[in-house]
Amino acid sequence: MAGSIFPYKAHTEVLSNGLKIVVIPMESPGLVSYYSVVRTGSRDEVEPGKSGFAHFFEHMMFRGTKKYTGPERDSIITSIGASGNAYTSDDITAYYYNFAKEDLEKVVELESDRFQNLFYSEQVFQTEAGAVYGEYRKNITSPFALLNEKMKDLAYDVHTYKHTTIGFEADIKAMPQGFEYSKSFFSRFYRPENIVLVIAGDVEPGKTMTMIRKYYDSWQRGYVPPKMTPEPPQKGERTGEVAYPGRTLPILNIAYKGDAFDPKNGEFVAALLLGELAFGENSDLNKKLFLKEQKVQFISPSFPMNRDQGLFQVFSMVKKAEDITYVRDEVYRTLEEFKSKPIEEKRLSDLKRRNKYGFLMGLDTPSRVTGGLARFVALTGGIEAVDELYAAFELVTPEGILKAAQKYFTPERRSVLVLKGAQQ
Amino acid sequence: MKTTMICSLAFLLIVPGILSGGSNVADDNLVLLPIKNDPTISFRIWIKVGSQNDPPGKEGLAEIVSSMLTNAATEKNSYERILEKLYPLAASYNATMNVEMTVIYGRTHRDNLKEFYPLLIDAILAPAFKQEDLDRIKSQALNYLENTLRYASDEELGKAVLYNELFSGTPYGHITSGTIEGVKSISLDDVKGFYRKFYTRENVVIGLGGGFEKALVNELKRDLGKLAAGKVELVPKSVPRTGNGFTITLVEKDAQSTAISMGFPIKVLRGSKDWYALAIANSWLGEHRNSSSHLYQVIREERGLNYGDYSYIEHYPRGGQLQLPPQNVARRQQIFEIWIRPVPNETRHFALRAALREYQELVEKGMSKGDFELTKGFLKKYVLNYAQNTMERLGYALDDRFYGIKGSHLELFRSMMAKLTLEDVNKAIKKHWQYGSMQIAIVTKDAQSFRDALLSDARSPINYATAKSDHVMKEDKEIINFPIPVKPENIRIVPVTDLLVK
Repeated sequence: MAGSIFPYKAHTEVLSNGLKIVVIPMESPGLVSYYSVVRTGSRDEVEPGKSGFAHFFEHMMFRGTKKYTGPERDSIITSIGASGNAYTSDDITAYYYNFAKEDLEKVVELESDRFQNLFYSEQVFQTEAGAVYGEYRKNITSPFALLNEKMKDLAYDVHTYKHTTIGFEADIKAMPQGFEYSKSFFSRFYRPENIVLVIAGDVEPGKTMTMIRKYYDSWQRGYVPPKMTPEPPQKGERTGEVAYPGRTLPILNIAYKGDAFDPKNGEFVAALLLGELAFGENSDLNKKLFLKEQKVQFISPSFPMNRDQGLFQVFSMVKKAEDITYVRDEVYRTLEEFKSKPIEEKRLSDLKRRNKYGFLMGLDTPSRVTGGLARFVALTGGIEAVDELYAAFELVTPEGILKAAQKYFTPERRSVLVLKGAQQ
Repeated sequence: MKTTMICSLAFLLIVPGILSGGSNVADDNLVLLPIKNDPTISFRIWIKVGSQNDPPGKEGLAEIVSSMLTNAATEKNSYERILEKLYPLAASYNATMNVEMTVIYGRTHRDNLKEFYPLLIDAILAPAFKQEDLDRIKSQALNYLENTLRYASDEELGKAVLYNELFSGTPYGHITSGTIEGVKSISLDDVKGFYRKFYTRENVVIGLGGGFEKALVNELKRDLGKLAAGKVELVPKSVPRTGNGFTITLVEKDAQSTAISMGFPIKVLRGSKDWYALAIANSWLGEHRNSSSHLYQVIREERGLNYGDYSYIEHYPRGGQLQLPPQNVARRQQIFEIWIRPVPNETRHFALRAALREYQELVEKGMSKGDFELTKGFLKKYVLNYAQNTMERLGYALDDRFYGIKGSHLELFRSMMAKLTLEDVNKAIKKHWQYGSMQIAIVTKDAQSFRDALLSDARSPINYATAKSDHVMKEDKEIINFPIPVKPENIRIVPVTDLLVK
């Protein structure tokens, strides 16, 4: 593709059952990274009481098949020295292994087997629920985990982004009762049309595809998309307080309803840049609050790309509780400036240059290539969106940033939380 | 007047070669890793200083100084200006430090080298040491010690307590972030004095990797040669107390679950045959973040008590965030460590017993032939993942220099997997691991009742929500009675607010 930012040539193919495979040969001494991207995450948990299930299910995927039991599978992975894991977030569940190229066929076989023939007993299922609860317990001691849970709950009414990926504690406790549900989850979501393989490193596309066809061709279609309820437009600002049982400095979290990821939506693309310009490391506000006045431990933006309407967020840890209002008003003042005054061209071009080099420098190993592409694949089903997004970044103008500021950063779209620790 | 002029001219004519040669960083202190096709250049500038060099009462100083170089103003640029200049390059420099090493590292695309290089060099050569930067950096360090470490992650807290206890009373005896009182007491003069003493020409090793030109090597040697001269005396090796039985620190905290870290110092270092032998046993017992870990199988996979259980024969900071080992945390005195991620409070005694029992079995019975073969094969390939890019490879190359390894640790690792025998492994276990003497750090609620239970060695029955296999039930009967002999004077309870103070 002319003008492509992506520095490697990708070979994309779709099997007759709908499974898409992206193979990216790149210089890498004998290493391969193999990603299975499931386009399902906590977003797809539409049934009440099932929050956290996509993540829980990710754990079950390591529990074996009739052909290879969990321990047998572990032992094969051990014997080939693969480094692997999996993760789940709102829009994605991803499984990956990094390994030596001579073991590619073994990995193709193991992965195709578990995605088609996963098999576990109720007993094993219930034991795994304990491990997931352990993961929740280890995370929830962080004030940021608690804040994340509360912000999602505050900002959304009906969309599944209302809950976190790990899920509500009550739902996690009830997981051991979900054995039957887990089978339906697998049958609806773990289907070839809903999954993309991304394979990068020391691989040859032709040979790789021959192996893929051999092991994945028999996989049957059957994906059932979840019945998503769109979030109605927010009507008015929401605010709240969060009490953290441990000690922490106060944390201010301001969130605005954004948009679903779409590189063709100029306002959305401009907003992604605005987050960095207004609240990033090099922003005037960071310099003011963090470096000069030293009123905050940090201020930073989180403007994610989501399949549905996500949240554009700003976080700041404030040193003194009496300064929270001041910091909040500084955030609002900054956004008002972005709405009324076009940003200098130089600052925008600096950011575009940074994005370009940051992206290029991040692609230095097979696992970083597959890992970097995974989110785009989950959101759009392919990797074309990478080039589209970076091309769209190039077209953003100061006026575009101004319009994005006017569209998204209104009090009607806003939710504000302040987290405070226990009294010292 | 005239005569003097001639004299100095003559002096200048003769001496410059010697002077410039003499003030360069010596070739011995270069670690180069050229990779032609790499469009980026990686820097790792190693200063042989770490938290072991913190003066008593100033714990945390080494880390603060490294931050005053990489997160603060230089004589030429304010910190804001530095951020502005680095911004479009998508390049940055930072410091990583541990007990013995401080490494200032950075990476740039070669298109941007001309803009990046002077910023990196200024950071090391010409820090401004401004009071406002120190205030900001100290405030962050204090917030980490007073709030984040004490409250946000019990497992990180458990590890910190373990490290501090294992080496208490020695230069290794405090975490790199220091202590609250130590950090509070640090002044600008402390920072300047520490920098002058340790950031010297003779105390620096240049690591450079990627697609650089030869000219850059000379430039670096010359530029870092401008650091003040000065030989730095090595801190005597920290010798920990050992052989005191089980010593337990219970941290009292209003915690939902219990985090456990335990271990003891070991003498063996990478590069020696025994280390690789022990690496096989350790990988089987507890390979980091890997389901091949036996502890993980017993505690998490079969019983669902927590999220993971691992063991280590080298210090492994940031274990919660990293999948693979970090670089440049090398040290002369290593530790063996077992990490039990948080378990429900009611299963804490059981989980501790389960872990110790597995460890004891391995120490007493050694590895089986089958486990040995499987693990050896695993490690031979798994270590390929340890250094995937130039920056990581350069990190390993510096560590090789630290440990005095000729060639490469990772290559040696692979070749040793072909040479070592089961007997080598079991001999190494006997030599370096023992059962019966261990430091244990536990973050938990109602510590007193746990202390009582530990002292009376009370049974610790366990109830599962679901039926377990016969194999698990049989093993549990042994676990619930597994003895952990501990003397009253060896268990202490510390409120969380008393930790990390001084």
